Amino acid sequence: MNLRHRALFVATTAGLQLLGIGSHLTIQGGELPTTEQIQFFEKSVRPLLVEHCYKCHSEKSQKGNLRVDGRGHLLLGGDSGSAFTPGKPGESLLMEAIRYESYEMPPGQKLKDEEIAIFERWIELGAPWPGDDGSIPQRAAGKGFTDEERAWWAFQPVQNPVLPALQSLSQWGNGGIDRFIAAQMEQQQLTPAPEADRQTLLWRVYFDLIGLPPTPEEVRKFEQDPDPLAYEKVVDELLQRPEYGERWARHWLDLVRYAESDGYRADLFREQAWRYRDYVIQSFNEDKPYDRFVQEQIAGDELFPGDPAALVATGFYRHGMFEYNVPDVKGQWDSILNEMTDVTADVFLGMGFQCARCHDHKFDPILQKDYFRLRAFFEGVLPCDDVPAVSPDDLARFTAEMNRYTEKTKEIQQKLDEKLAPHLKRVFEATIKRYPDDLLAVIRKNPAERTASETQYMQFIMRLVTYEQARVDGRITGEEKDQILELRRELAKFDSLKPAALPRPLTVRDVGPMAPATVIPKKNVEVQPGFLSILDPNDPEIPGRVDSTGRRSVLARWLTDQANPLTPRVIVNRVWQYHFGRGLAANSSDFGQLGDVPTHPELLDWLTTRFLENGWKLKSLHRDIVTSATYRQSASHPFLAESQLKDPVNRYYWRADVRRLDAEQIRDAILFVTGRLNPARGGQSVQADQPRRSIYTRVMRNSHDPLLQAFDLPLFISSTSSRNTTTSPIQSLLLINSQTMLAYATQLAERSIAAGQNSTPSPEAVVEALWFTLFGRTPEAEERAGALAFLEQQKRLRQDLHEQAASLPDVATGKVPYRDGQAVLFQAEKASERFLIPSDDRLNFSDFTVEMYFQLRSIFESGEVRTLAAKMPGPGARTGWLFAITGKGSRRKPQTLVLQLFGKDENGQDQEAVIFSDHHVDINKPYYAAASVHLAQAGQAGKIVFYLKDLSNDDEPVIIYEQPLKLVSVKANTAPLVLGNREGADGRFDGLLDDVRLSSKALSQNELLLTVEGVLESTVGYWQFEPHPGLLQDTLTDGLSIQPGRLEPKVSPEMGALIDLSHVLLNSNEFLYVD
Amino acid sequence: MTRFLDSHFHRRDFLFRSGAGLGAVALAALQSQSIARGAGNGSSALPMPHVPARAKNVIFLFMEGGPSHLDTFDPKPELNRLAGQHLPESFGTVLTAMGEFHAPLLASHRKWKQHGESGTWVSDWLPYTAECVDDIAVLRSCWTDGNSHSAGVCQMNTCSMIGGRPSLGSWVTYGLGSENQNLPAFVVMQDNRSSVVNGPRNWGAGFMPASYQGTQLSEGSQPIPYLNTPEGLDVQTQIGKLGYLNSINQKFSTEYPQQSELEARIRSYELAFRMQSAAPEAVDLAQETAATKELYGMHEKETEAYGRLCLMSRRLVERGVRFIQLYHGAGSKWDAHNNIESNHTQLCRAMDRPVAGLLKDLKQRGLLDETLVIWGGEFGRTPMSEQGNGRDHNPTGFSMWMAGGGVQGGQTIGTTDELGLRAVEDRMHVHDLHATILRSLGLDHMALTYSYKGRPERPTVNEGSVMEKLFTRRG
Repeated sequence: MNLRHRALFVATTAGLQLLGIGSHLTIQGGELPTTEQIQFFEKSVRPLLVEHCYKCHSEKSQKGNLRVDGRGHLLLGGDSGSAFTPGKPGESLLMEAIRYESYEMPPGQKLKDEEIAIFERWIELGAPWPGDDGSIPQRAAGKGFTDEERAWWAFQPVQNPVLPALQSLSQWGNGGIDRFIAAQMEQQQLTPAPEADRQTLLWRVYFDLIGLPPTPEEVRKFEQDPDPLAYEKVVDELLQRPEYGERWARHWLDLVRYAESDGYRADLFREQAWRYRDYVIQSFNEDKPYDRFVQEQIAGDELFPGDPAALVATGFYRHGMFEYNVPDVKGQWDSILNEMTDVTADVFLGMGFQCARCHDHKFDPILQKDYFRLRAFFEGVLPCDDVPAVSPDDLARFTAEMNRYTEKTKEIQQKLDEKLAPHLKRVFEATIKRYPDDLLAVIRKNPAERTASETQYMQFIMRLVTYEQARVDGRITGEEKDQILELRRELAKFDSLKPAALPRPLTVRDVGPMAPATVIPKKNVEVQPGFLSILDPNDPEIPGRVDSTGRRSVLARWLTDQANPLTPRVIVNRVWQYHFGRGLAANSSDFGQLGDVPTHPELLDWLTTRFLENGWKLKSLHRDIVTSATYRQSASHPFLAESQLKDPVNRYYWRADVRRLDAEQIRDAILFVTGRLNPARGGQSVQADQPRRSIYTRVMRNSHDPLLQAFDLPLFISSTSSRNTTTSPIQSLLLINSQTMLAYATQLAERSIAAGQNSTPSPEAVVEALWFTLFGRTPEAEERAGALAFLEQQKRLRQDLHEQAASLPDVATGKVPYRDGQAVLFQAEKASERFLIPSDDRLNFSDFTVEMYFQLRSIFESGEVRTLAAKMPGPGARTGWLFAITGKGSRRKPQTLVLQLFGKDENGQDQEAVIFSDHHVDINKPYYAAASVHLAQAGQAGKIVFYLKDLSNDDEPVIIYEQPLKLVSVKANTAPLVLGNREGADGRFDGLLDDVRLSSKALSQNELLLTVEGVLESTVGYWQFEPHPGLLQDTLTDGLSIQPGRLEPKVSPEMGALIDLSHVLLNSNEFLYVD
Repeated sequence: MTRFLDSHFHRRDFLFRSGAGLGAVALAALQSQSIARGAGNGSSALPMPHVPARAKNVIFLFMEGGPSHLDTFDPKPELNRLAGQHLPESFGTVLTAMGEFHAPLLASHRKWKQHGESGTWVSDWLPYTAECVDDIAVLRSCWTDGNSHSAGVCQMNTCSMIGGRPSLGSWVTYGLGSENQNLPAFVVMQDNRSSVVNGPRNWGAGFMPASYQGTQLSEGSQPIPYLNTPEGLDVQTQIGKLGYLNSINQKFSTEYPQQSELEARIRSYELAFRMQSAAPEAVDLAQETAATKELYGMHEKETEAYGRLCLMSRRLVERGVRFIQLYHGAGSKWDAHNNIESNHTQLCRAMDRPVAGLLKDLKQRGLLDETLVIWGGEFGRTPMSEQGNGRDHNPTGFSMWMAGGGVQGGQTIGTTDELGLRAVEDRMHVHDLHATILRSLGLDHMALTYSYKGRPERPTVNEGSVMEKLFTRRG
């Protein structure tokens, strides 16, 4: 079997995309080399080329403008023309040259006859070159632009083509889009599919425009609407809904690599990033003209200085990755500037500039110079985190209030500052030591004397300093610490006077009126800001400004110039792609040679013209597209087989495609149909275990939600213009086996009973309700019968199960970021299960250690604690212990770890010890925490050691805090050990708890769970909440298992069967795909 | 959004869609549960390598945090001579991660000996590895760009310091496919549950479809997340559900015969079900003899954890898993900024015997020839001290080694300068390392392309060359 056939075979499996079946074969047209040919090339031809020719004719040097290190290069040839004609050695310049017939190559020593014969044979074979079939000729370097390049479609002004005349399809369609589509179909002798039925259409357009399915009521209303324009009405209504912005902002956030964390080893959370997300949602919802939208993001600070939204928009530049503690500040800033250049070119110009960073683009007329001309626009950028995005009035009000507050607190603040100053100074000095000598000099400089780039470097340096200084408390101990905390408490008394913090989004401004020079590396050539040379070779004039270079305003205006052939075409093509799954030009972020030419270039221009006429408005573009007959076609076709032969991939839009929902649509739809979706909009992001729309879930680059990730969530590292759609057994396992999906199924089952509006609805009614909720239609008779039979079958199976074992309680699970495996979710708003471990002799001990992983969702406003674990009968009992996090109102230490113990001191007196760790515990941050209790002995003081480790930052050391302990014993009791709660008082935990381990010994640091996982000799209990050995089982053999404190009523076999049905339907293709 | 992965898949789609019926061939391929290893015959659905392959599988032993080459494989008498002094001026300025640029040089306290017939130098920290040197080619001249753990680990995995590119394992899976349909082709395991720097994107598929990404595998009855029937349900109930799901999915897919994905999703449930038995069997060490376990050091507390992983990886290789990455010291445990003596003593001890056991076991089973074993971290450590008794990150020169998979053992390739700071002779950048690893598998790093956003992307970012010496006996 030769490679070609192999490719065919591979193609069949590639469609399946299971477990990584795939191929490396690049198919760009033309014959593929066979294995034998490849071996011949690699063994015989390539070594000759490398040995004798590369020195003068490859990447480094191109004598006579000829390169021989690629088939494309050879075909393109040098000054004397193409080096060979495949298959015809006799007509090939290369052969002449090596035979010393015209040129004499290689100079000095003619090749041996057998070597010449190798080249002859190779050209005879068609000059096969693995990985390079030369079908796309590479550009010749340094020759200026060819006519062909200038004539490339994407660089031509947008035309306003006349609508084509139609023959056989003249009766089809209802507008311009359909005319262009029909004309192509006629040419290809294809016919359009009939219009999809109403339910299908409704389902499609809902997911497409708002990312959610319609409710059963909406389906019924639409089906019964006699208005011939019922569909158009729905479209208009959907475009007005706030969910529209939530859906379409998602596409934009993909493009601008939006995420909420730094993405390096320290995946630090970006607290203010969400403001950009809300800005995008709002912009879509108010149908902000796209030109304005672009201008705000590129130069909002310069062009619309008084507009808070425009300031937030400049966050566009800030979504790239960042590492706060890298000493190579210059190197990092250089790559950040490059990244800004790449993403701008990708998103707005639809041109891949990256290749041109190191050399002129191999295929497209993008010069290396052009890369740096674009970068020069950003060279003066200064990232800022401290600019308030509010109106001048609000700012004035805030300042006045703040002044009042400062006045009142001056004295305390002064004392506090005095106390902290030497410590802050010490941290500062220790921190800057991490920078090399040249940067140290910059730090020591008078700010006014720093150059523009030095000011930029300082921004980065100060971020590390600020980070370290914010942790200054950890370096202060003893009496001084107490004094500082006391002053803080004093200060807190004035909190009511303090105005609410202003929004301070991630923004940029320029460092000043002058930008640092932009220099092409290695070439030492300085360039000025400029556009793609092929479009405009001149340096644009940049009006000077006082506070800013004004460069980005010029870029913004050029990008949004009506005559710019790229920006409007690129966005129109993207919108088309998001509606149809494929752009009119297939690679929506590459309008170059490698990106394929558009299938319907005239339609693209016609739509772009209308888009510009409509003032760059997106909603009218959506309306035109989704109301077209093209969009409304069915995915089925009466002549499917014949049409498939003519156009297997539906390039000509003769039917609709069946498309899988993307990750967010799947998650949102599940929450929606189970009735769990919280409709709250905007604001701080939440963890993925909260039932908000996926766009509001926190996007940490190094830790994604398993469900979203399984369904091809992008990495958000570079611009993503289209999502992958993979099918893998990992997805299936997650959907069919995860506790989370089972919980959704349970909720769906409960909801479908409630929907029956009858206390005991018939199975028929429930099936009906499920079908309507999940698929928006009535089940066919056969389907109904199938579902009922399935319910019966599962009921029988469940009956057996019912008799054997108790069913699992209603426990929600989740995943602690940066940890594997399953954690238990405690929800404050829900009186969830209580995790009790009944009293056992093993649970009363002297020295002990309690440790766990957790992520906290909230703390009490009062002084009440969020309990991690407790063995205490209740307040007032004065026995046992409690390990918790204090509330905001805690008089002594708010939001910190606390261990409360009851026992006896040396003198046999009953004593209470309440010991705080002093370390601020952040909401939503994943932690490891431990308290190791070493009781006092006669004459020897005891101690408690707290350990706290932030899991999201590997560079953050384990915080250790030691306090003396006077108790010589802990008072035993018969209370159960409770996880995530306490007895007799409200101390509910809110958030995730994972891997709790209890040891009958004061563990040393190298024995902690953080370092050594597993069961130690001293381990009394180790609860990991994994399916193996069981969610509630102790990992220890014969260990102490958890007993839910409030047993759910057992699920009846009938209910169980209904849960099974719900679960299956949530797994079904009809639910996961839109047709 | 699009189900067309990229433009060059159009043609495949064409071939697929115009073929007879719905994925009939693919179905057949899947039904033959495991494709015979090494079958070069026409029935194989696997893509062909570009050049004759030496290795079929890779085991990458990743020492996370950066082990010191100066105390393991690259003895530097000059370093001990100059210990306590500053780096000579002739070495220029060095930008170190923690900024102790002017710290004095730190001597290596190791005892060094030549081992094997080849006389390869190995320190006394690695007595078991030393027994295998005749199968090992030590690469003393590795270098990388990343000076932080994040950038370094990212580059060692993806060739780029900035994330977003597919990892080496993904490229290999893409290039060669899987030999076992019931197990993931690319598997990642780690010795503890701390997060590896950068998290799972180290084994991510980057811009390629997620099906090429690495799957994390752990021990026990549920080695893959969500593999087992959820608690509270029995298998019969679950089978009942799967059967019914299959029937409604079949109905939906008959409505749209053009949409192959619908069929694929049906198969994916069958496959998931098959994985439920294949995966636990693969990681079940109960079938291994006591002697084998001892070979891997599983009888001793310190070596047990990594020994288990090494033994599991041999079992996975036997079952056709293509690319296995085993993190040791996950969470940058090798990062000995201070007290390198105690840090490395402990880590070397934990890793040495299991690694040697793996090499010996592979060899005695005749698997070493077709399995490329790679050892190393994201960078090495500085000759300069840090905090008095530690060493900082050193990306400019460090050691790795390779064995098996056509590698000629018993040689030492490349050198660093006399203090071990920079690679000088036969320098091997990460790009070269990856090009070489791919070549061992029969893949040409310049011919292996994936079209992303319309652009041809290559595993080594268009750079790197193969270190041919690795595959040929020196002298």
